[in-house]
Amino acid sequence: MERYELIVVGAGPAGLSAAIEAAKAGMKTVVFDENAKPGGQLFKQIHKFFGSKEHKAKIRGYNIGETLLREAETCGVEVVLNATVAGVYEGRELTVMQGDSIKHFKGDSIVVATGASENMVTFPGWTLPGVIGAGAAQTMMNLHGIKPGSRVLMLGTGNVGLVVSYQLLQAGCEVVALVDASKKIGGYGVHAAKVARTGVPFYLSHTIVAVHGEDCVKGVTIGEVDAAWQVIPGSEKTFDVDTVCLAVGLSPMAQLVKSAGCEMNGIVPAVDAYGATSVPGIYAAGDVSGIEEASSAMIEGRIAGAAAAYQAGYLEKSDFESIVTAHEASLGSLREGMFGPKQRGRVQTVTEEGIVLSQSLLTKGYLDESDLAHFPSIQHGKTGVYPVIECTQNIPCNPCQDACVKGCILIGNDITSLPVINAEATCTGCGMCVASCSGQAIFLVEEKPLESTAYVSFPYEFLPLPEKGDRGIALDRSGAPICDAEITAVRTGKAMDQTHVVTMKVPLDYASTARFFRRR
Amino acid sequence: MNGRIDRSIDLGPYVAAPDDGMIICRCEEVTKGEIRRAVHDGMFTITEIRRYLRTGMGLCQGQTCARLVKQIVAKELDVSPDVLEDAVARAPFRPVPMRVLANEAEGRTR
Repeated sequence: MERYELIVVGAGPAGLSAAIEAAKAGMKTVVFDENAKPGGQLFKQIHKFFGSKEHKAKIRGYNIGETLLREAETCGVEVVLNATVAGVYEGRELTVMQGDSIKHFKGDSIVVATGASENMVTFPGWTLPGVIGAGAAQTMMNLHGIKPGSRVLMLGTGNVGLVVSYQLLQAGCEVVALVDASKKIGGYGVHAAKVARTGVPFYLSHTIVAVHGEDCVKGVTIGEVDAAWQVIPGSEKTFDVDTVCLAVGLSPMAQLVKSAGCEMNGIVPAVDAYGATSVPGIYAAGDVSGIEEASSAMIEGRIAGAAAAYQAGYLEKSDFESIVTAHEASLGSLREGMFGPKQRGRVQTVTEEGIVLSQSLLTKGYLDESDLAHFPSIQHGKTGVYPVIECTQNIPCNPCQDACVKGCILIGNDITSLPVINAEATCTGCGMCVASCSGQAIFLVEEKPLESTAYVSFPYEFLPLPEKGDRGIALDRSGAPICDAEITAVRTGKAMDQTHVVTMKVPLDYASTARFFRRR
Repeated sequence: MNGRIDRSIDLGPYVAAPDDGMIICRCEEVTKGEIRRAVHDGMFTITEIRRYLRTGMGLCQGQTCARLVKQIVAKELDVSPDVLEDAVARAPFRPVPMRVLANEAEGRTR
């Protein structure tokens, strides 16, 4: 039996953060993870995170993972991989399978950060090879470099469904449709919009009727559902696909806390503000204590780690309180906005600013032209180059504000506020705001009435990159081809972190509609 | 929570459904029809279903099917899935080969 002052189960964002915070305070800390690589979901998350600087906004998930691992190493955290926690017993004893042996460990404190697993839904054909979880698709693409399929249908329009659909496009798959039984897109509008502008259709109030094929997926039929979730006869549509991805939610992996005797609150352990469960010395942090974003999981981990350190006498009360106060404020701001836990299940029609929300964005995945005038940051018809910020929902995010050195973009202290264009400042067209926006919702437009042309700069994260002089077709927000376009500039830079800023020349009339480019 | 299920309720006759042949527990190859029929046989709790059919007892330990089984049982009983208590979580949480457990008993690798 080996003893540690803190044992963390799970080396994902929550677990690593807890371990770092505890080890920093001086605790002898070990992290066990059943996987061969640490980081949990972080290394699959190739998109830029939302939030503000303290939440590591505009940094890609895998880079956040690298930073956490380095920090853990510096603090002296021992991270043990291929180590499966198989059981938990009286007195915080854990049995851990490592290779061919079971080893016993005792933790003065334990932080359970086991994360979550993907939910499945059933329909005829759901067990055919080719029906996979969206997370599995992400693992294949981003960890193992394997394309999950060629033609994919995604079920579920929460952030996971939207983000993974975009990644499938990036990997070179064709996404034939995004389907959700709900009437509204569940994830961020900006995530939906970046998928929609590539031409992927959304089918809301639709579900999978059946997946076809004998020994693998050959096609899928979807149908519209009525108010009682029954498929309306005659509404069926069939797609030729080889892969069906399911992004229908996550369930906490709570076996360990349950087995330890922690009091449960439904499917999650009941925890206090510090992540402490009903069993003394056992804490829970991250998705296992309630499904949220990785950004929140990291903060919950920090708080639980600090709480364990305080309990063990490694932190003075005042130091502990100041750590917790800072993290709680940070966590609070992430939970604000129209997607925050307080708003769950509520029907929202206007933004915090009182602007009517775009129904088109919620049902089709893109802003309708009639919505544009309501949002002051979506400008048009100005002289010189100017930013157009198609950010129309209150989500906790503000990197654009700092990205503009000229101070053109104002969000203020409340990070869920919609960005406002500062009329006093002048845009130089540097493109840093375009690259900084994790939602890829910022464009630069320059209208040249004398030449009857307009230059539209947009974020681009596909390979191969277009080159200056390439000719093709400009697509509108829905992905429909609208006019000829010529690439006039492609900007990349270290600070842009692989969000390239591509500029295309289009006829003047398309300045406010051309938003994406496709080669001929 | 189990106490809330009325053991004397009349479920009515078992009526075959077109999707009864659909596999729900992939590890143990248990179909929807088998689960529905088990409820009519008197298996009203997840634990009973589990012992009767081995749902959730295979390689993934119910990670995939636990929610699905619960939904089917709840629908058959005409109760909310929240009323049904989850199966007990016990070690090992992940499959552990017998030889690994045996290694410990013999003290070979400690």
